Order: sequence, then structure tokens, then C-alpha cells
Amino acid sequence: MAAAAAWQFSQKNRVLIVSLDPAHNLGDIFGITLKNKKKQFTENLFLEEVNIQKLSRDYLQREINVFSDTYKYLQALNLDNYFSVLKYSPGIEEYALLTSIEETIRNEKDFDYIIFDTPPTGLTLRFLALPRITITWIDQLTRIRKQILKKRYTIYRIRGTLSKEETVLDYDEEDDNVMKKLRRLSENYNALNKTLQGKDCSVVVVFNSDVLSLKESERLIEGLHDLNLPVRLFINNKITEENSELAAETEKSISRIAKDIPFERVSLSKTLLDGGHGSLYNIPEIIITQLQER
Amino acid sequence: MNPSIVSFFRHVLSGLHTSHREKTVALTIVEMEELENIFALLLLGSFVGFPSPPTFLAVELLPFMEKELRVLNRRAGQANDMLAEMCGTLGID
Repeated sequence: MAAAAAWQFSQKNRVLIVSLDPAHNLGDIFGITLKNKKKQFTENLFLEEVNIQKLSRDYLQREINVFSDTYKYLQALNLDNYFSVLKYSPGIEEYALLTSIEETIRNEKDFDYIIFDTPPTGLTLRFLALPRITITWIDQLTRIRKQILKKRYTIYRIRGTLSKEETVLDYDEEDDNVMKKLRRLSENYNALNKTLQGKDCSVVVVFNSDVLSLKESERLIEGLHDLNLPVRLFINNKITEENSELAAETEKSISRIAKDIPFERVSLSKTLLDGGHGSLYNIPEIIITQLQER
Repeated sequence: MNPSIVSFFRHVLSGLHTSHREKTVALTIVEMEELENIFALLLLGSFVGFPSPPTFLAVELLPFMEKELRVLNRRAGQANDMLAEMCGTLGID
């Protein structure tokens, strides 16, 4: 659906579609090999598959470099390599995905639309929740840090330094490295959160007309609502003559929890059933009307 | 007056002054170190079973946390006798 929407948008606008799903199939849909690089498909359409493992590796390498710089003296004993164990830190994939979204939004300014094709519900909700969770943690840590710096300042004012050799702990917010880092992270995540919740961002939920997909979609909608992320459109996918009645019921159930959000119906693709002979991205239904009218 | 006696008294007075200043900030230093301990504990809480912030946050701040980690380590060693330390700081015999 993301590929189809990108194709339809690209008829009049410059579009970048980025696949964040670890099980990519964007290249397969457009019939080209992407190899983790942005590629131009038509004059207006660019495709990219994000390599989460590479992103995680790059991020951790950057942090390992900071460690190695801070503890440079360990190079003399050849012990600095031991920081490389950080590359096995859990929970980095979600961060890598979020960083990828943030960097794409920040760097790709010459596109009218950027479409992110996200992984299934669980992982998507986890990484979309990350900015808010992170901001909460940063706020709490900043509060404690401010207290620490206040105490340090009090101690410095009363006690001063006993000798010239004595190290004075940073008490100014502008000098303290931890505070500087917390501030920078806070700025980044607040900006990202603002972008994700802003009027220029739309979340499109695609579901199939079956009971399991309905339950999953309901949970996703509740999750997105909790995160204040704006759902603008539902796409009821793979409709056939047999399931059209169930499709109507599914839409009715979803309407109850997400009022005033339009639905688009998309029939089961014959190309998909034919074994992929033909363009999978070029579907007969126009699914972008509601998104353009905003 | 003999200059060595003047310098002796100056030295004694300076020592008293330093000692008073040290005594005044002793409790504030304990408070500060407790806060540093809490800061490090919150950030690295997953190691002792606390809910912890997203891993990358700990990874980002870790390179600048040497002082806090020292405090955390020392506090862990003194954890079984914190009452004695508090009594010492507050001057209770």
C-alpha cells in the first residue's frame, strides 16, 4: 500500500518512500535491487530500504568512539578495544529506526512527500513511543542533574579550593558534559515528537478484513491515540466479493473507536495472485485523495 | 612579635577556617553524592532490576559519568552501614 501511495503521489509530486521493515520488499515491488541506498525510480520517485543492523552498528560505533576519546589513556595499554562490547547492547534497533526517521525528515528537504513503510504493529508502536518515553526520562534526569549542579555550586562557594591542584567539579550547566548531552537529546526528541504529532504528518493504518487483523488494528489505533499520533486514513486491504460483508463490519467496528477518519477500500490484487507479473505498485484504486485534500 | 609565632598563629587560624568550611559543607557533600548515586542508579538501573531508561540514553551519557560511577561503586560498598555514615556526618556519637 505504501508503494502504491508513493507511486500515485509521484505522478504530480516529488516523493521519497523509505522502508523501515526489517523484512523489506520495496525493491521486489518495484523490481529493482536497492542495497540500502536511495535510488531514483522515476523522475519524481525515490526509493530507500533502511538497513537497521547497519544503522545500529554505525550508532554504536559513534558512541564507542566517544568512549575511546574520553578514555584515551587506555590506548597506551591497548585496552580501548574492549568498549566494542557495547555493540551487543539490547534495545538499539528501535533507536536506530527512530534515528533513521529523524535524519530522513531533517535531511530530505526537497521532497513534497516522504512515506515511511513501517514494520508490523509491535515494533512500530515501540519505536513511535520512544520519543515520548525518552523525553520523560530526560526531563527527570535533567531535574536531578540540576540539583546536583546546584549542590556543587553551593559547595564551591562555601569551600572554594584548598589547593591549586584540586579539581573543581563542573557546577555550571553550560560546562557540565552530562547536562549538555541531556539538553541536546531533549531538543532533538522534542523536535521529532513535534514533527510526528504535527499537521504535516499522517499515519495511515492498513488492515485486512479478518477478525485477527481487526483486533490488531484496534490495538494499534489505541496505541497511536495514547501517543497523540494523528491517524488520517484507514485502508481496508485485500477486499474480495466473498469478504465484502466482513469488510463493512470491520470498518464499522473501527469507526466506533476512531470517529471521523475516512476509509479507502482496495481489492485483492490480481497481479499478486498471478505471481507478480505486472506492476504491483500500480493499483486501480486511488488511495491518496483523502491525504491530498488535507 | 616574633615572626615565626605570627606565622604559626596564621597557620592555626587558617586551619580552623578550613576546618569550619569543611564542616559546613559536609552535609551538602553527602546530599550531592546521594544525588549522583541516584542519577547513576536510575541510568544503569537495569543491572539491579530497576526499570531503566531506553538503553541508548545510558549509552549516550555513559562516557561522561566517571565521577557518578565512582560514587555508585563506593555507595554499594558502604550500603550495609549507611546509618553509621549519616551519624558521622551529622556529628552524632
